[in-house]
Amino acid sequence: MTAIRHHFELAENLSVTKFLKKLGKHLDFEIASQQYSIKTFYDSFDWRLYNADMMCEFRQSKASRELALIDKNTGKQLAVEPLQGDMPRFSGQFPQGLFKQGIASALEMRALLPLSQLPYQHYRINILNKDRKTVLRLQIEEHKLLTTHISLHELKGYAKAAEKVSTLLQNKLNIKATKPSRILHKSLKRQGRKTQDYSSKLAIQLSPDMPADQACKLIYCQLLTAIQVNEASTIADIDSEFLHDFRVAIRRTRAGLSQIKNTLPARDLAKHTRFFAWLGQITGTTRDLDVYLLSYQDYQAALPKSLQADLAPLYAFLKQKQVLAQQALVAKLEQPEYRKQLKAWEHFLQQDCPKKATASHAKLSIKTLADQRIWKVYTRLLHEANAIQASSPAEALHDLRKTCKKLRYLMEFFQSLYPAQEFKAGLKALKGFQAVLGDFQDYEIQEISLKQFSEEMRASDTHTNTFLAMGVLVQHLDALRCAARNDFAAQFKNFKEPHKRKIFQHLFAPKAVEKNA
Amino acid sequence: MKIIASYNIKGGVGKTSTAVNLAYIAAQNNMRTLVWDLDPQGASSYYFRIKPKVKGGSKKLIAGAHELDDLIKATDFENLDLLPADFSFRNLDLVLDARKNPTQRLKKLLAPLSKEYDVIILDCPPNISLLSEAIFAASDILLSPIIPTTLSLRTLEQLKKYLKDNQLKHLQLIPFFSMADKRKKMHQEIMQNLSKEHPEILKSVIPYASDIERMGWERKPLGAYSHKGRSIEAYQSLWQEIFQPSNN
Repeated sequence: MTAIRHHFELAENLSVTKFLKKLGKHLDFEIASQQYSIKTFYDSFDWRLYNADMMCEFRQSKASRELALIDKNTGKQLAVEPLQGDMPRFSGQFPQGLFKQGIASALEMRALLPLSQLPYQHYRINILNKDRKTVLRLQIEEHKLLTTHISLHELKGYAKAAEKVSTLLQNKLNIKATKPSRILHKSLKRQGRKTQDYSSKLAIQLSPDMPADQACKLIYCQLLTAIQVNEASTIADIDSEFLHDFRVAIRRTRAGLSQIKNTLPARDLAKHTRFFAWLGQITGTTRDLDVYLLSYQDYQAALPKSLQADLAPLYAFLKQKQVLAQQALVAKLEQPEYRKQLKAWEHFLQQDCPKKATASHAKLSIKTLADQRIWKVYTRLLHEANAIQASSPAEALHDLRKTCKKLRYLMEFFQSLYPAQEFKAGLKALKGFQAVLGDFQDYEIQEISLKQFSEEMRASDTHTNTFLAMGVLVQHLDALRCAARNDFAAQFKNFKEPHKRKIFQHLFAPKAVEKNA
Repeated sequence: MKIIASYNIKGGVGKTSTAVNLAYIAAQNNMRTLVWDLDPQGASSYYFRIKPKVKGGSKKLIAGAHELDDLIKATDFENLDLLPADFSFRNLDLVLDARKNPTQRLKKLLAPLSKEYDVIILDCPPNISLLSEAIFAASDILLSPIIPTTLSLRTLEQLKKYLKDNQLKHLQLIPFFSMADKRKKMHQEIMQNLSKEHPEILKSVIPYASDIERMGWERKPLGAYSHKGRSIEAYQSLWQEIFQPSNN
């Protein structure tokens, strides 16, 4: 029995007219419509819909404008809805319905951006039974630049018709089956792009014997690319995550510069280190305000219903501050000095590493250096965490969080040097421990900031109830901060469990394992 | 999910054309819509060109041997599905009677469809029977077409009394005039008088018109072959009065 397939492509020498003529010899059909259409594929910059097995199409013709959400693997239309007006950017701006429901959790705060646009002739064909009832729909997309795509759209209660037509196309008409995402792939290819061509996750391929100076430049190059690809949309403020990824790349670069020393000439690095510290500093305020704005719904939900509406002036205040901070950031990123410094960094990275290096670790194999650095930071982390008591000041936990971040960045830089499964287990354990430290600090900073915001808002004509709501919110955040602080000991106990320590030891200090054995 | 029963004690008053045309308009307005053809004559199924046949007949259907979802057929229109009739539905009363808690049976069978559909329209057979009671228990709205005749007035009053006597408070009775012939003086007078006495009767009036009768020939809802005219406007207005009452 032939497996049922729902997507086909016509051979280049077979026109739609010829195909329909052939089809008509085997079954009864009617052309329900034929129209010139334009299809635009949409996704977030980091492919959140595609990563969640979905594709988003916006189809426009004289007769209609519709949004479609499609299962990338099966081609099933998960939602097809008419769209009035302009294409919204964020999931919250779409009208209530299956489309909005389908994209919301995958897209979160990211903007939907156009990927590619295709003009095509769109045929809707109804396959009819003897009562002239439609039992299957065929959609034909005749593209000028790509091969013609046929999709079978099964109707509820008429599965047999789909089976029959699928078999007919494959066995008698010799039409080639294809994947539902073929058009997206091909149209991106024409632009020199491919799906999932951006991810905020690091995937740096290093070989263990690579000299450390060369490997470091490779790492910094990838981070520089992340800075560059996020820069324009950070300036345009397309969505909050461009700045986030821009900042993460900066932070990672700074962590590399401070944690992998003596691989590149210190004299050359000093000015770049200052540049990245400045970049980190000028991007901080906007990001903090973005985070408060993104947290706003959670803030509201944390309040009793009677106070929720009273928090609205805080949102307006934060939004206003964010706009000003963004303007200040843009002004700085448009300074010639910024471009000059970034160019200088790029130029430095593009230069070949000298054969005889001055830096002491330059020619060490990267695996040896990675082992040394990760193991050292890991043991420092254990030492710092062991020293923390119930009475330790908050600063001790904040310092420990910084050490955790350093370890995390180092591990992510060098992950290609280690066995994937074991590495993943080590990273997961670290992430779990980092989360409690992150929560503790974030809640504290939010508490402090909210108090500061309320001071600033006093100058305006803000209603007392807003301050009351903010007070309740501070109380709520304080309870969460205390809970995170109390959870620290349990999370650390979990992190330092013998089997997890063994993973770190085995990965990064294999000689010590042999010695102990 | 709203469940609307197109119902009248009397036959031949336009229940099926109401069910089919309102369902079509609802689907066109992007509501996921299902018509359940409960009338063994299978007129709704005929209009949608779907064979009036249900696997296992009324017995298995009422027993819940198949999920209702497995028996549903797509119509030729987006967002609009049909649960077809079956000739065995003539025995639905007997089949229901043989079960425990028969009046709650349809409600129970329909419950799993609440996530799939925004509106379900039941095309009901005439009479007051055990099946009608089960329909009343399952529905939110009892949409009742009435021909402007004295006999129709009697049936409307009978129905109101029945709902009151049986304390069916959850059920909203929405009567409206159907098959009204504006050339007939009697129709006009009755409509005027009845509207005064029964303010719950909707303002929309479905005319007695040849384009509605053509549904049997076209085997399609009115809106699928007629885009303009008094009849289609009347159904649009009826839909708006039911679904967007604040606009009226």
